[in-house]
Formats: sequence, C-alpha cells, structure tokens
Amino acid sequence: MATTFADQLRSLPDEALGTLIQLRPDLVVPVPADISALAVRAQSRNSVARCLDGLDEFTLLILDATRLSRATTTALTSVDAILELTAGVDPDDVRAAIDRLRARFLLHGPPEALQVVGAVDEVTSPYPAGLGRPADFLDAQAGALVADRAKLRRTVLSAPPAARAVLDRLAAGPPIGALNRASLNRAAPGRADDGTPDGGKPDTDRAEVAEPVRWLVDQHVLVPVSEAGRAPRPDGELVELPREIGMLLRRETGPLGTLRPAPPLPDGPVRDPRAADSAGAGQVMEAVRATEAILEALAAEAAPVLRAGGLGVRDLKRLAKAAGVDEAAAALLIETAYAAGLIGESEVGARSAGGPAPDVFLPTGAYDLWRAAGVAQRWATLARCWLAMTRQPGLIGRRDDRDRPINALAPDAERAGAPQARREALDALADLGTGAAPPVDALLGLLLWQAPRRARGREVAHRDAYAGAAVLGVTGLGALTSYARLLLTDPEPDETDPLGLHPAEAPADAVRALDELLPAPVDHVLVQADLTVVVPGPPEPELAAELDAVAEPESAGGASVFRVTPASVRRALDIGYRADDLHTLFRRRSRTPVPQTLTYLIDDTARKHGGLRSGSAGSYLRSDDEALLAEVLGDKRLVPVDLRRIAPTVLVSPRPVARLLGALREAGYAPVAEDAGGATVLTRPKARRAVTRTPRVPEPLGPPLLAGPRLAGVVEQLRRGDIATRAARRAPVTVRAAQGQAVPGLTAVQQHSQAMAVLQQAVRDKARVWVGYVDSHGATLSRLVKPVSLSAGYLRAEDERGESLHTFALHRITAAVTEE
Amino acid sequence: MSDGPLIVQSDKTLLLEVDHPDAHACRMAIAPFAELERSPEHVHTYRLTPLGLWNSRAAGHDAESVVDALIKFSRYPVPHALLVDIAETMDRYGRLQLANDPVHGLVLRGLDRIVLVEVAKSKKLAGMLGARIDDETIAVHPSERGRLKQALLKLGWPAEDLAGYVDGEAHPIDLAEDGWKLRSYQQEAVDGFWAGGSGVVVLPCGAGKTLVGAAAMATAKATTLILVTNTVAGRQWKRELIARTSLTEEEIGEYSGERKEIRAVTIATYQVLTSRRGGAFTHLDLFGARDWGLVIYDEVHLLPAPIFRFTADLQARRRLGLTATLVREDGREGDVFSLIGPKRYDAPWKDIEAQGWIAPAECVEVRVTLTDAERMAYAVSESEERYRVAATARTKLPVVKALVEKHRNEQVLVIGGFLDQLHELGDYLDAPIVQGSTTNKERERLFDAFRDGSLRTLVLSKVGNFSIDLPEAAVAIQVSGTFGSRQEEAQRLGRVLRPKGDGRQAHFYSVVSRDTIDTEYASHRQRFLAEQGYAYTIVDADDVLGPPLPKID
Repeated sequence: MATTFADQLRSLPDEALGTLIQLRPDLVVPVPADISALAVRAQSRNSVARCLDGLDEFTLLILDATRLSRATTTALTSVDAILELTAGVDPDDVRAAIDRLRARFLLHGPPEALQVVGAVDEVTSPYPAGLGRPADFLDAQAGALVADRAKLRRTVLSAPPAARAVLDRLAAGPPIGALNRASLNRAAPGRADDGTPDGGKPDTDRAEVAEPVRWLVDQHVLVPVSEAGRAPRPDGELVELPREIGMLLRRETGPLGTLRPAPPLPDGPVRDPRAADSAGAGQVMEAVRATEAILEALAAEAAPVLRAGGLGVRDLKRLAKAAGVDEAAAALLIETAYAAGLIGESEVGARSAGGPAPDVFLPTGAYDLWRAAGVAQRWATLARCWLAMTRQPGLIGRRDDRDRPINALAPDAERAGAPQARREALDALADLGTGAAPPVDALLGLLLWQAPRRARGREVAHRDAYAGAAVLGVTGLGALTSYARLLLTDPEPDETDPLGLHPAEAPADAVRALDELLPAPVDHVLVQADLTVVVPGPPEPELAAELDAVAEPESAGGASVFRVTPASVRRALDIGYRADDLHTLFRRRSRTPVPQTLTYLIDDTARKHGGLRSGSAGSYLRSDDEALLAEVLGDKRLVPVDLRRIAPTVLVSPRPVARLLGALREAGYAPVAEDAGGATVLTRPKARRAVTRTPRVPEPLGPPLLAGPRLAGVVEQLRRGDIATRAARRAPVTVRAAQGQAVPGLTAVQQHSQAMAVLQQAVRDKARVWVGYVDSHGATLSRLVKPVSLSAGYLRAEDERGESLHTFALHRITAAVTEE
Repeated sequence: MSDGPLIVQSDKTLLLEVDHPDAHACRMAIAPFAELERSPEHVHTYRLTPLGLWNSRAAGHDAESVVDALIKFSRYPVPHALLVDIAETMDRYGRLQLANDPVHGLVLRGLDRIVLVEVAKSKKLAGMLGARIDDETIAVHPSERGRLKQALLKLGWPAEDLAGYVDGEAHPIDLAEDGWKLRSYQQEAVDGFWAGGSGVVVLPCGAGKTLVGAAAMATAKATTLILVTNTVAGRQWKRELIARTSLTEEEIGEYSGERKEIRAVTIATYQVLTSRRGGAFTHLDLFGARDWGLVIYDEVHLLPAPIFRFTADLQARRRLGLTATLVREDGREGDVFSLIGPKRYDAPWKDIEAQGWIAPAECVEVRVTLTDAERMAYAVSESEERYRVAATARTKLPVVKALVEKHRNEQVLVIGGFLDQLHELGDYLDAPIVQGSTTNKERERLFDAFRDGSLRTLVLSKVGNFSIDLPEAAVAIQVSGTFGSRQEEAQRLGRVLRPKGDGRQAHFYSVVSRDTIDTEYASHRQRFLAEQGYAYTIVDADDVLGPPLPKID
C-alpha cells in the first residue's frame, strides 16, 4: 500500500473532492473537521452501506468481481483482473462501472493496484456474486480436489442427478444450503447481493436432499459449515459450495452469473398521452369528489379514535360506502387527507360512562379552505401530501405480525421509507418516456436493477405507490400523466403564502396543466318534471351552495343530479328562503322551463310551512277566565316578568315559575303552580344555605431538611463528579465536550455514528483511542485504550499498558478520538 | 375536451342530454350495455349494472367497445377506476359455460380453471355439481340448470348457457297479416328475442305485447304454454290469437279455475298454477303435459315466486317474458335475468308514443282539500287506517263526477282500490262496477257494452290493473290504489293508451287528498311514469269543480 486512504483524499484536486462529496453527500453532514475525519467517515460502515444502496445491479456485481479478484496475500487487484472475470460483457461498460466505484472511493489506488474499502466486506454478503469461499480456506481435502482440475471435473460429472440439482441450485447462489430438515425451515442466513434468484434453500423432503448432499460432502464437493460466513466445522448444519466449484458450474453464464450492463427496460403498451391524461383527469375528479364525500360523512358523524390509534374498520366501511369507493381506495384517501391536514383529532366525542372522553376524527378548519379551492388545486394539495407522507396505505386491512388487522390512521401503517419508495417508483415510470404504461411487475424488475440493495424488501411499497398513483389520477391507463410529471418536478409553493389562501394568483404548473383538462364550471341547471335537477358539469361554488340548500344530492361525478323533495324545500324555507326566492332561483338557473310540478311543490310546501309554532318559555300562566288574564297582562306591577299572550287562555313568561308566582302573589293574585302532568304543586318556604366548603390546612414552609442516607448519597455524588472531572482533564477536547464539560472555544459534539466509525477504523489500524463513556453510576469518564474488537454491542479493548482487557457497552460510549 | 352528449357519473349512471345533436348516435352506442333507468324530458339516465354489462357481453360486445363508446361520447374525462371496473366486470361473464357434452350430457365448463375451482368450492353450489370430469369440466344434472345459473349469478360468475333448447312438439302457427302488419319495433323485439333464445321484451302498455307473443309463436312454430295473470286476460289473449294468427278456437285451450283444457296452445293463469291443496301444488303436471316448444310469461313483473321455482326446471325450453316494466316491487330482477333470460328489447314509452303507436296522454293530479271533519277523522285515525281514511274521503266524489262530466263524450274508467268507495262511486255516478266477485260472464257483458259505446262510464276495482283490453277508454280516473305501487300506476295508465280511432289525447287523472299520506303515496306512484317522460300537472279541486270566481279588482 503506497499511500493511506486519507493521503489519497488529501492529494485529490478540489474538483474531484467536490465530486466525491456530491456523490456521497452524507460525508459532510455534519462537516468533518479535517480530511482525516473525512477519510474515517468515508470508510465507515454506515456511509459505505448508504453509498452501496444507491448503486445499480451491474455496478454492484463489478464490485463483487473486484472482491473476488483480490490477491489473497496483498488484498490488491487490478482492472485487468476484473475484466478477466467479466468476459462476455463490453469492457467499456465494466470500466465505466469501475470508474463509478472509484469516484465514490469504494475502490481506491492506482488501476494496477486497486484496493477495496474495508467496510465493504463488512456490510455486504460474505459471498460475493453468490460464490462461496475458496476451497483451501474451507477444507484441505476440498482444496486438494479443486487443485486437481481433471478429478474435479470427473467428480462433478459423475454426480447423481439429484446431487447435480443441488449443486446447480447452490451454484446459482447463495452457496449455502441446509443439511437437515430442522434447519430447512429456517431462512439461510446468507444474503444474496448479486441479484440472481434465490435458489439456495432447497425445500424438498429430507429423504430427497439428505442423501445427495451426503454424497457431495463425502466427495468434498460441499463443505459443512456451522454458520454462514463462519469457520468450517465438520458437524455443521449447513453446507457451503467452494468458490472454484461454483465458478466451474457457472461456465455458461460466466463466473459472476448473468451480467446486465443496461437496465431491463420493461416493454408494455404505450398510451396516447391524451387518452392517459383524460383517464387521469377523470380519476382526479373522482378522487377529489370521493375525498370530499368522505370528509362530509366524517363531519356528519365523527369517527372515534381507537385506543391503539387509528380508525375502526366499521367506520372505514361506512366512509367508503358514503363515497362510493372500495375500502382500499377509501383508506388511501383518508390517509392522504390526514397527511394534508384535512382530518384531525378532536376531543369533542361523547363522554362515555365514567371513562374519559374519547378523541374523534373530524375534518379540520383547513378542510373548509381546501374545499373553496378549484379541483386542480385541491388535487395538487392531496397529491403533494401523498408523495411526502410517511404512511403506506396499502398495509391497511392486512394483518400485522401478531395477526391483528392494521387500521387506517393507525401507527402500524407508518413507514419512514414510503416517500422515497414512492419517488423511486414514479421516477422509474417517468424515465420511460411519455405514455409508457408497462405492467407493474416489469417496473418492479427495473427498480430492482436500479438499486437492488434498496429495492429488495420494498416491493410492497413500490406496488402500493403504483396503486395509489392510479387511485389519485397521478397515472392514467397505467401511464404517468402530463400534469403529474410537472408535479414531480414542481417546486413547493413559496412560503409567503403558507396557508394556500391565494391559490388562484400563481397556480403551479401542474395545477395549470390539470385545469385545462378539467371541465369548466357551469352556472346553470336542467330542471325536469320528475323533480330532478341536473347540473351538466362541475357546479360553480355559488350554485353548489344554492343547490345544497334546496335539493338532495342523488348522484355525483362529471355532472351532479339533485332531487327536490318536500323535505328539501322545507329545509330551504327553514334557512330563510321564501317561496318567491325559490321560484326565482330555479327560473334564473334553469336552462329549461321550470315544470309545473316543481312550482306546485314549492307553493304547497310554503303554504304548510310554519303551520305549527314552537318556542321556549320559563313559565306559563293559564286560566279559563280570559278577562282575568287580560287584567294580569295589563297590570303595571307585573311588567318585570314580561308576560306575553300566545293564546286567548295562555300567557307565557321568560322568568322561572317561582319568580312568576312570587310576583303574582305580591300583586294580590292567587296563583297555584302545576307540575308537568297538570297536577297542583304545593310549596312551602325553605331555609337557604350556601354550599359547604372544607377549611384550608396550613402547609409547611421552606425546603425539607436532609439527613441520613439521602445526605450521604448527595455527598457521594459530589465526590464522584470531582473524580470524573479530574480524569477527564486528560482526555481530548471532543471527549470532554461530549461529556458536557465546557471547553472554551470548542463546542463540537461528536455523533455516536462518528464514534463508531473511529472505533471501527481503530480496530483495523490497531490504533489507540480516547474513549469517553458513562459508567454504571451515571458518571462520565474517559480512558485511553487500544480497541481489539467491536461486536455484539460491546467494544473490547486493551488498556494503556496492554495488561488487561476491558469491555465497554457501545450505547454507553459518548465519544471516541484517535490519539494524536 | 370533446363536447359529447354523455356525462359519466361516479355511481355508474350515465346522463344523456336528449337535445344534443349526437344524442341519437350516443343512445345507439350505449343501449347495448346500459339500462335505461329514467327518461324525463331533458336528461335521460342510464345505469351500468353488472347484469347490463353481461347482457352486452352475451350479445358479442367486448369491454374495449364499451370503453370506446363511453370515451367517444363523454363530455368530461371518464375516471380510470370506472373503466377498469367495467373491463373487470365484463370479463367475469362467460368464464364459465354450460354446455352439452356428447358423452357426459350437461356440463359446466371453465375457460379459467381457477374460477371453476373457486365456484366448485362454494357452499352455495353444494349438491348442484356432479362428478369432476377433468380439470376444466364438471358434470351438472340437467334438473339443476336453472338453479345453478341463479347461484352462479349470485356468486358474480354468470355462466353462458350454450346448452341449447329443445325444439318441442311442432305445431303450425302463422301470422294472419290481413290488413295489418307487425310494427317495426314489434318485429325488432321478436328478432331480438329469437336471436337470444330466451329473454324478456319490455314494451309499454298498449304497444301490442300480445302481438309480439303471437309473432314469437309464429317463429317457433311449436306448441306453446302462455301464462297470464287472470282469466279475463287469458280470454283476451285467446281472442287476439284467433284474430291475428292461423290458430283456431279448437287449438287454444284455457287452463283456469273454471276449465282445464290442455291443447296445442294452452293459456294458464298464475293463480291456478300456484293454488295448493294440502300444501302441494296440484297443477304442476301442466308443465310436463306436453312437449312445449315455447313458454310465454305475460306481465313478468308480477310473476309469483313459486312460478320462478317451476321455471328453474324449464331451462331447456325457450322462454319469452313480456312486460311493461322490469321494476319489481320485491326486487327479484336478478331472478328474472337468470331464469327467464336477459332483457332482449326495450323502447322508451315516449319514443313509441312519438311514432303514434300509443295515444299521447295527459296526466293530471287533482288535489282535493278535505273538510274539517274529514281532517279531524284523518288526524285521529290509527296509522294503518290512515291511507284508507284519506283515500276514500267523500270529498273526492264531486270531483270525480265533475271530471266525468267534463269528458261526457268519452269512455271513462274510474279505478279504485277500496270496495266501499267504489260502491259509493257507482251509486253517485250511476255506473256499474266490475270487481273481484263479479262473474266472468257479467264482466264480459259489461266490457262488451263499454267497447261498443253503449256504456260510457265503468267503475273498476283492482281487477282493472291488469290486461283488460278496452281500446276505446280514453279517460281514467284513479281514486285510490295499492299504497305506493309504481307498477300499478303504469298499468292503469296503460288502460287508456291504446291508440284511439281519431288520434284523440288520453287523460289520466289521479284524485288525491291534500296534506295526507295519500299525496305522498301518489308522488311515489308517479315516480315511474315521470321517469318515463310523463309530466304530471297538479291542479286544485276547485279548478275542476267550477270556473274561478270572478275577481273584483
């Protein structure tokens, strides 16, 4: 090794260093103090894993090839060695891949002496390209077999068919198989990182497997191991196929398996962009309408928040039915509306007996603002929030690990990776060009190639993203719509209008594009003799409000159909319309003559309206003697009780009965009280008392005095702190800062991950490190140690003099700095 | 954005703007798969139902053409989810087929093995399926053909019935087209039925459904069983058949409460077929009495439940249903679809009226105001009595009389549901009454007198609801009915829709008591006709009773 990793970085021109940081932005969050720190971070497991996550299948395989081609002694390789392994593929493609790896500093050094960053081996499978470890490393006899090429070939050719099948499966990778039935059911621990189909877990019966495997082990073609990646053991439960035999069996595809330098472009129908936009726009209207219907249903009857969080299955069903969509779509729209802040929890639920008032889900105030905006604007709000929400609505209705159903808005459906998965999925579709509508499975294949490490395990999220996109009208007929494409590149609306109060002033591009596809609002209706009112398009807000008041909605969609019923006319009369207003309303709005039936209905209902009158009163006064009542009504002394005549024999007053009776008696009348059934009530004066109060008890003054064990504890704590301070004085500033000790001019706090990176590097370099940690009493200490190993949550390290081995729990380590 | 006449709604209804220039082309395009639900004057409503989509699939349309028609005529973008749903629904039809296997007889064949496995596991089909012949075929007992189709429809995997029909016993029947011709829509209806094998023809009252039946018989040229609602209707069928076809009196048998004749063409009533003795149906043998080549169901919407059960056993015979409306008050439209067959033809009433085949009608609702005494009687009556009290108010009598006087030169039918009221009316108007207890002989006599004009006014009870052919009746006055029955209203209107000799307008009056439950029922009853494009005018009784009082300004 000519120069160290840090030296190589140091010698880079600024541009190259900038490129590295651009390719691996996590290296500068937070900005490292110097190039050495940058080098440590670039070699740390976290950063390397993150970088590998973004690489495509082909580049990862080339990295595997690099690992395979390392010389056993120097751990160095060269471009030529890599090209040897990748015969059959255009060398330029391979060189480009190597350049990508070098630009990211996963490989470093000159082309003839390339070195793989150590952490790569730690975060990837121990079986590069799905090949096992070299035979002579596993087992001497296996090594001997491999050394004798002719014998090896003979042995493989003479394998019985069942054994040959096992070999082929293991050769396809991963090269680990289970030996007996007990471990058949356990997932093989080896991870395949080469993108080839997982074939290492034969799931046939023991009788079929054990015998051929036994034969292969006897021939030393397979080597028993105890655990994937661990040392070989004759009594292990797993078997491993040595690397050389795997490569021999892969003669047809090449030692790395199938290499795909270019992404597998999915073929599928290409839609006419206009047809896709039109279907999408239709779906947009539907999604906005359904969301509104759901929220209206929620406003009419709030849904309680379950104790475990979320919305009950029954409520979800009810809301789905109200909106006329299936439950999956309803769950998606509810989650999106929640993410958009249109639904919130409120404590206005009915108080149950004894217990606290349950929270309920209700539309928020933002819903009213949202509803006032145009369809395109409303959709854009929903779509943006859908893209950004850390929820996976596809999980709703499924069962979790404990076989309990996952509810909408419940914490179980939270997935931090969801927004990224959604972006990846839509970007993959967007990159295919306008109108491309490949099947979802083909798209998943493409995503798997683009970033295998990330896509594996995210298939469900990706599939969910495509399903959601179809429901929201982001895609139409399976193709990305033109307006959604704009949305994906659309910057967020600026912060001067955080509430979206003035959406019309500067509509975003996506909104404008969508607006052109949506029908223009109409201001007229068609009234028919069967008392239906048809709005042939989306109604203007004003018209919608009017119709809401006077008619019942019957069907919604591109147009809306309302029906005028006696009840709806009565409702309109109740809120202040008069019959004339209704006639005018229909005459003004209707493009067709108003049918006689409607006119009649309005007049007839208006005639009956108000035939009964109701109100509230504090008390009443009745008498069969109308003259007596007239006298009471005219009595000046009774003015304060505000009597009013509502019928010849009945007066009412807003005052309570007792007050009315008192006033009447004072004025010389002889009234008698009645109860609800009309019977006479006799009253007797009662002595008045105030509510009983408990007297105050005096409280002790000042802080309590300390004594005994508590005092001793305080003293011990003070002493311990003193010792810690003295010990820490020797530690570097970073360690002291991490321990909360003020250091003048330096406030750097080290991140835990950075401490780990330093420790990992120190283990590799066998360097001495200052470790700051918290002991079991909660005191902060620091020590200069030489790390030996880092595993299973513990750091094992020798002390300064190399005399004894100390063990530190990793979660207690606050900082680690290399000794300078 | 196109400016088409069609608006697609999210609840799968289609709104067709009638006055749009493309409306006719659009109607032609969507009629095969969408059911006309309402046709008021400006905007017609069609509905996409699974039944309708499967119908069109059975007629050879595919999902692509349905989607194309929607997109072509739609004014606004059609939601993607709706298009997907249509494609998926249509795809369900025909995955299973009922077919005749030369070796195993009737079999259920699955073009999709998974579907076959799915339905075979269903508990609803237990006992209907026989031995599994191979992966794609399961034997079915011929007697289960109808029930299996019913059950599969309920499971959402309707089977295509390719097992064919028996020809039945041949019998020469021809139309005697002397001086009249089958109308174009009648011919289309017969053609549609024959091409489909079995099914229902929907035509308005007075549009000549009997002739469609006769023409179907002339096409089948086989022995025919005709099921009708009552004896009078049966006799009308007989009369019509003798007049319009080559059949003679001797070839047509009547199977009713009075006579039990089984001939080449037999007309039986629903009532006699569903009568039981000791819990058993005693007249079931009729279905097997001859090798019927055709079974005609008149007024399918009234088909009683037991007849459905018998029909399930008749799946090998051609079946023709005739009705003015598929609306069933009991909601068994699905059974009509699976047992008698899909709808083969229908035409909106107004279209046929516009062609001059049925008389134009004016519908008027006359609202009478009850006297204070009647209002008090209504207010204190028990809830189950309220409709009777409101509907039989005496205040209605002078109004009915005024209406009869107004049409004193025309044939007037007064129809009601309560016998006491009808007797009152009979006395008040001095008109004879036909009711359930009137003998058939007496009925015939009165109907004949009414037809030749010697009797001007006739009071009918519920017997007037169905199949009474009184072509000259031009005015019907309805005073009470069976609560809110929509099909009763349509049937009663049908009484006056026969085209008149001089092309006069028909009048249909409904006299109701204001501010009572009578009004509510009336508006419910009118719903169907209003949806068919008949606009009701509402007038006050005072406008009928006399000229308005002169105003003094």
